[in-house]
Amino acid sequence: MPVQSRTEAQQRTDEIHAFRRELQDLEGRGILVLTPEQRRALESHHGALLAEYAREFDVDRDAQAKQLSWGMRIASLAGALALGASVFFLFYQFWGRFSTALQVAILIAAALGSFAATAWIQGRDGSGYFTKLAAMVAFVCFVLNVALLGQIFDITPSDKALVPWAAFALLLAYACDARLLLGAGILCGIAFVGARTGTFSGAYWLDFGERPENFFPAAALLIAVPQLVRHDRFPAFPQTYRVFALLTLYLPMLVLANWGELSYLDFDPGLVKGGYQIAGFVASGLLAWLGVRRGWAGVANTSVTFFLIFLYTKFFDWWWDWMPKYLFFFVLGLTAVLFLMILRRLRAHGATAQGGAAR
Amino acid sequence: MNWTRRHTLALGAVLIVATNAVALLGVAYNRSGTPGSELRLSQRELRPPFEWGLQKENSGLSLKLLWRVANRDAEKRGVANEYGWGAIPAWLDRAKLTELGFDLSRPDSTPAGRRYYAKLRSREAYLVLELAGPPYQAALDAARERAENRKADALAHPGDARLKAQADFSQSQLFHEEHEASRLFVVDAGLDAGALRAKYADRSRYAIVLGRVRPTLEGNGARVGGYVTAVINDSVNVPLGMRKAFEGVPPRSYGFGQRYAGPEIEATVAFGKRFEPWLAGVARKP
Repeated sequence: MPVQSRTEAQQRTDEIHAFRRELQDLEGRGILVLTPEQRRALESHHGALLAEYAREFDVDRDAQAKQLSWGMRIASLAGALALGASVFFLFYQFWGRFSTALQVAILIAAALGSFAATAWIQGRDGSGYFTKLAAMVAFVCFVLNVALLGQIFDITPSDKALVPWAAFALLLAYACDARLLLGAGILCGIAFVGARTGTFSGAYWLDFGERPENFFPAAALLIAVPQLVRHDRFPAFPQTYRVFALLTLYLPMLVLANWGELSYLDFDPGLVKGGYQIAGFVASGLLAWLGVRRGWAGVANTSVTFFLIFLYTKFFDWWWDWMPKYLFFFVLGLTAVLFLMILRRLRAHGATAQGGAAR
Repeated sequence: MNWTRRHTLALGAVLIVATNAVALLGVAYNRSGTPGSELRLSQRELRPPFEWGLQKENSGLSLKLLWRVANRDAEKRGVANEYGWGAIPAWLDRAKLTELGFDLSRPDSTPAGRRYYAKLRSREAYLVLELAGPPYQAALDAARERAENRKADALAHPGDARLKAQADFSQSQLFHEEHEASRLFVVDAGLDAGALRAKYADRSRYAIVLGRVRPTLEGNGARVGGYVTAVINDSVNVPLGMRKAFEGVPPRSYGFGQRYAGPEIEATVAFGKRFEPWLAGVARKP
């Protein structure tokens, strides 16, 4: 089974270790005992695979390495954000001292150079941490490139700038298996689709945030991406798309459930508020169920979280003013307990269904 | 086809180069040929940024184009009410707003009507900026009249400290209007830049720019008026070669701060084919 990404290599490594532990247990109980030839062949095969994965993808070989790996991931994320900010302020600090031609040359060279550097680092960095860091810097350089060109030449601000930013972020995300950049690309895409939706009604593009419904088409597109595009090499990406899709759906709903006058709908704001409150409950409830059923942990968790937020904001509206605070928080606590019981039943139902399917 | 690192590199490089090419070609197109307008502005209309927050880290210089809108109602006139969002101009009436694409056919006296008008968002339109024209003269005349009236009131009641303070304030407002306030007024709007140019042909006095307008209900729904909510490109970058002329030009408030004590500047701001401005020349007055 050839692997093409670090995620797949890590998954295969974990499977091999699990298999070894299980085999050891079975042998200890005398249920399955391999012949010396079989054992040698198996160990040689697994040893070769593990060595290959370690060499090619710098995978975590044991639990301790995995824990350290988490630390490296956090350091890489913080480093990427800090280096991106550093590049931004570095240019901001000195760009006024250069002629216009030099400013343009530096901006383009920084974007191209940081991108080439990312590719170069990727060829030498099996772990991917340094590559992701470099990719983030490359993305910041490109955003800075376009934004500062706009400032240098007083170019009319346009939502069209979001398209190359999104494309570049997605290119880097898929090239470097970087979820942070996938998120950046998705955010640019959400902003572009939202702005375009806003302009359909004749409004100015930068006002798109004033009508939360402008985000719904972007949510629909995002939820469709992992259904339409296979992500075999990027097993974590579909979840990222789905979680962003749900945030793009729930957050505007939450805003409209509290401020109905922001809606496009030409009804009484109270009616609009009520409608979006019901829609919020129904959507988060149904999607939580769908998430559990399909095994989409991100969808289930995000939906459950928003169901609770919708519920608690309603409780706050209804009871905060007149209910004694101990009682208010007691009701919240009871609701959480009730919720836990429902989720436990759902989990048990899911396990039974899977067991049935296995039989 | 197997996707390799070379493909990624090539695609990324093409994306970067193409994006820059599109942006720079747009700039070249905007600045090609004779500029659409060329206004000779001073430090009254071009304000350097205030040095606070992250601005302290910025070594570049971008000037803010200060534009005004003459208030329709005489009692609301005055510098403080006329920058940006403050004013509802007489020319931006129901007919003009309809011409700009707003559907104002709904009654504005019912709750549903008021809700409809409150929901209307700003739209893009071409705006006409006039330098030192009749609206500026009217603002100057109003400031003079106000200062004279307040001075007369104060002289008629010598012991009244409140009237004395009002007279002093009106005098400082008059000074501001005469020497410091922007003379650039938005005087018209439309969807056809060519028609506006034909109507306002003097390119050294009128500039056509991109902006945004929005209707509003006044007097609890009594009538519909409009705001100029923005001039979209209201900043002008200063290239390195022209920076020296702006040394010592301080940012200032709208007439409530200290009197301007910086150098006098004459800057030529050109507006191109895409209505984007640039600094074409600058000189310090002796």
